[in-house]
Amino acid sequence: MISKKLAAEVINVASQTGADFVEIFAENTFSSYLEVENGKVEETRNTNISGVGLRLLKGTQSVYGSTGDISRKSLLQLAKELSASFKGERQINEVTSFTLKKHKNFNKPFTPLTSIPKSEVVTLLKDINKILSDYDPRIVKSTTAMIIKTNDNEIFNSKGLMFKNFREYGRFIIESVAQENGKIETRFDGPAAQGGWEFFTKTLDLKALATEHAKKVILMLQAKEAPSGKFPVIIGNGWGGVIFHEACGHQLEATSVAKGLSVFSGKLGEQIANPIVSAYDDPTIPNEWGSFNVDDEGNVPVKHELIKNGILTSYLIDDFNGRRMNEPGNGASRRESYKYEPTSRMSNTYIAPGKSTPEEIIKNTKLALYAVSFGGGSVNPATGEFNFGCSEAYIVKDGKITEPVRGATLVGNARDILMHIDMVGNDLALGQGMCGSSSGSIPVNVGQPTIRVDEIVVGGRGGSIYEF
Amino acid sequence: MNFKKFFELAKLNGIEAADIEETRNKSLSISMFKGEIVLYSVSVDKNFTARGIYNGKMGFVSVENDDKTTPSYIINTIKEAASLSESNDEAIIFKGSPKYKKKNIYNEELAKFTPEDAIEKLHEIENKLYAKSNKIKNVELGFDLSDDTSILANSYGLNLKTKSNLYYFYAEIVVSEKENETKAAFDLFFDNDLSKFNVDEFVDKLVEKGLSKLGGEPIQSGKYKVVLKENCVASLLASAISNANSESIQKHSSVFEGKLNTKVFSNKITVEERPLEKNLFYTYFDDEGVATTNKKIIDKGVLKTFFYNLATAKKDGVQTTGNARERGSKMGIGFTNIYLKPGKLSEEQLFEKIKNGIYITSLTGLHAGLNPVSGDFSLQAEGFHIKNGKLDKPLTLFTLSGNLFNVFNDVIALANNSKLLSSSINCVSMAVKNLKISAE
Repeated sequence: MISKKLAAEVINVASQTGADFVEIFAENTFSSYLEVENGKVEETRNTNISGVGLRLLKGTQSVYGSTGDISRKSLLQLAKELSASFKGERQINEVTSFTLKKHKNFNKPFTPLTSIPKSEVVTLLKDINKILSDYDPRIVKSTTAMIIKTNDNEIFNSKGLMFKNFREYGRFIIESVAQENGKIETRFDGPAAQGGWEFFTKTLDLKALATEHAKKVILMLQAKEAPSGKFPVIIGNGWGGVIFHEACGHQLEATSVAKGLSVFSGKLGEQIANPIVSAYDDPTIPNEWGSFNVDDEGNVPVKHELIKNGILTSYLIDDFNGRRMNEPGNGASRRESYKYEPTSRMSNTYIAPGKSTPEEIIKNTKLALYAVSFGGGSVNPATGEFNFGCSEAYIVKDGKITEPVRGATLVGNARDILMHIDMVGNDLALGQGMCGSSSGSIPVNVGQPTIRVDEIVVGGRGGSIYEF
Repeated sequence: MNFKKFFELAKLNGIEAADIEETRNKSLSISMFKGEIVLYSVSVDKNFTARGIYNGKMGFVSVENDDKTTPSYIINTIKEAASLSESNDEAIIFKGSPKYKKKNIYNEELAKFTPEDAIEKLHEIENKLYAKSNKIKNVELGFDLSDDTSILANSYGLNLKTKSNLYYFYAEIVVSEKENETKAAFDLFFDNDLSKFNVDEFVDKLVEKGLSKLGGEPIQSGKYKVVLKENCVASLLASAISNANSESIQKHSSVFEGKLNTKVFSNKITVEERPLEKNLFYTYFDDEGVATTNKKIIDKGVLKTFFYNLATAKKDGVQTTGNARERGSKMGIGFTNIYLKPGKLSEEQLFEKIKNGIYITSLTGLHAGLNPVSGDFSLQAEGFHIKNGKLDKPLTLFTLSGNLFNVFNDVIALANNSKLLSSSINCVSMAVKNLKISAE
């Protein structure tokens, strides 16, 4: 991407007015999107992102610049323009060479998706697409698509260190629209990993997933509206972990903690969840969607224990925000691309498994909503108010799952919701999504076993849960 | 890149017709926290998006890298994509409209605004915000400046240019009076004319917005009459009219299928698309190079047109409406400068009209809580009680749920407070019958 010689030259120009740290992030990313709709290849899209991000730090001040023009002239001009923000003398030595820091590869070897002929990908997409189309004539639109993305980046910094990183992501999209008597229902599934072709052809059973997808979209087309009010909710495993992602995870990122802007700022060592809740953020899980071998500032990732038996034990910290907290970064710095300044973000975040089986949780529940599929959510870390949308749910009555109900949004406040988790299952699973925040949109896993929340506000379009 | 040479090379490689758009963006972002610049970011981006017809099929690519390998990379990728395509859509590169209504919306004065000027303004805003009340615990604020140019050219000789610039000032305040009640309020101001930004007005409005949220009371779940503030109406309206997308209609994924020239909304609702209105979102050609036109989408509740691009128009045997969007991939459909025709009442008169109900000031969680296809929504909301025709106490956390199409049918009245939002929708507040509130 850029030579070591040019990297050194740029860093030395950038540091001449008093920056205490300078970093270059050079990137070349290719992504392809191949889509089959109602049995035909409707779209193939190829996108290239390529450029350099330059970051200068001075104490708790940061200046950042990015450019797609990686010529010497353009990069030196950017370095000069950014260094003009500081008005001082040189504080750090000029860099003369870089040492390449090797890092451990957490991933098991796999067959790269980019090595698979496109025709073979099309065959898989068509096979799965046919399962949807053949399932029921009420499925009027069936889409299957494969996203393949390779991200190649190099980091150089003023400490004379250099890091190289290459990631390959793959995602299989299953999407459908079902229609009956003017009523429309949609469904989305998007399993994803950094596990190559084997993930989609061996680890996953895409045929079973497509059949389940088709069954659920038809079931939800006929479902009643979800109830509304405040009552117990059982939240299914895997994607149900979006509750922890919104209600807690974002509030533990140094991005908001460092400035005292999070409801969990200054709460280390305090009880913020029911003692049956322990939670982790682990970027080192092999081949997972949210994993990385080195973070986007060059730090080594580690498994973070965030909550142990209800007690807050750790935050997710990047080097820059760590300065405000007097703590070093702990390998949690991420960015979408060279266009974004990196900051602390989640990776694979999950509530640890407990002792109850999911069947026991249902059996021990008199009346609740059982929320199974989710569309995502959002939170304002300053107020702690969060929401997440549920697209598939059921009523649980007297210990049994009774009838399916259509979507509802669940809202609550991070300050107390984790205290209301009163049962934790033993069926931990992860679900893949994209998380948007100040350093862009990045792949993350959310996760949890089945859990029960003793009360939360449910915004369904139906009446009281007691009417079911 | 030399476009003429690119088109020649494309032709030599068997690409019958091609187009390419080069966009350049220069931007500056500054954010401040407690008097310090915590983010100062500049970016210079360049991007090429190209399409080409190869063996009768269309191929696409989007690329940032710009060196001597780029033209051949674009051509090879287009050929590969076209070879895989089985789309029945007719592949069309547009020769050009007879006339284009080009206007200059670029503000030269804004281009002279320096980062130092912006930082000075941010200090002023921050100081004034903290000085207003000791209930303001934190302020995060910033300034964004963006300068964009683009050229769309094709192998038939079409060459269309745009140039625009825009700035934003934004701030979020965190307010608190007692423990366990923290509220946040956000506002932004955007324009390309700096003289229109009034610091005191911005500060007063934001502080009022934040402090008014304190002292919230819970609300009982149930059905209420509501007044939706213009930003909430805009979010719902954008999703509702996205169903006029001709591609969705053709693929049986829209409730507007078969509804052309029939009543889909209350007769109080008239919606226009005005891409040629000279404002920040002015667009004189679409992403296929077709000249845009102003038009009525909904006239007194009746659906008057779908949004078309060249391929979907051809399928329905009609003219394109100039709504092609999305370079670098299969051409989609979009819209800009949507106008909801205002009513005659002020917002206060709307409160008087519904007497008792809820005033909704913010809706959150649209990406997961709103299904634009079915129209069903359930969203985190903020708002106030309306009692005896007047605004009353703020409400603690609740959700608002319903169906988009019912909302625009159950209209009681529209306000006259027309406001252009950053989503390019010019909207007003609206009173609606019976929406479901869920809370404690």
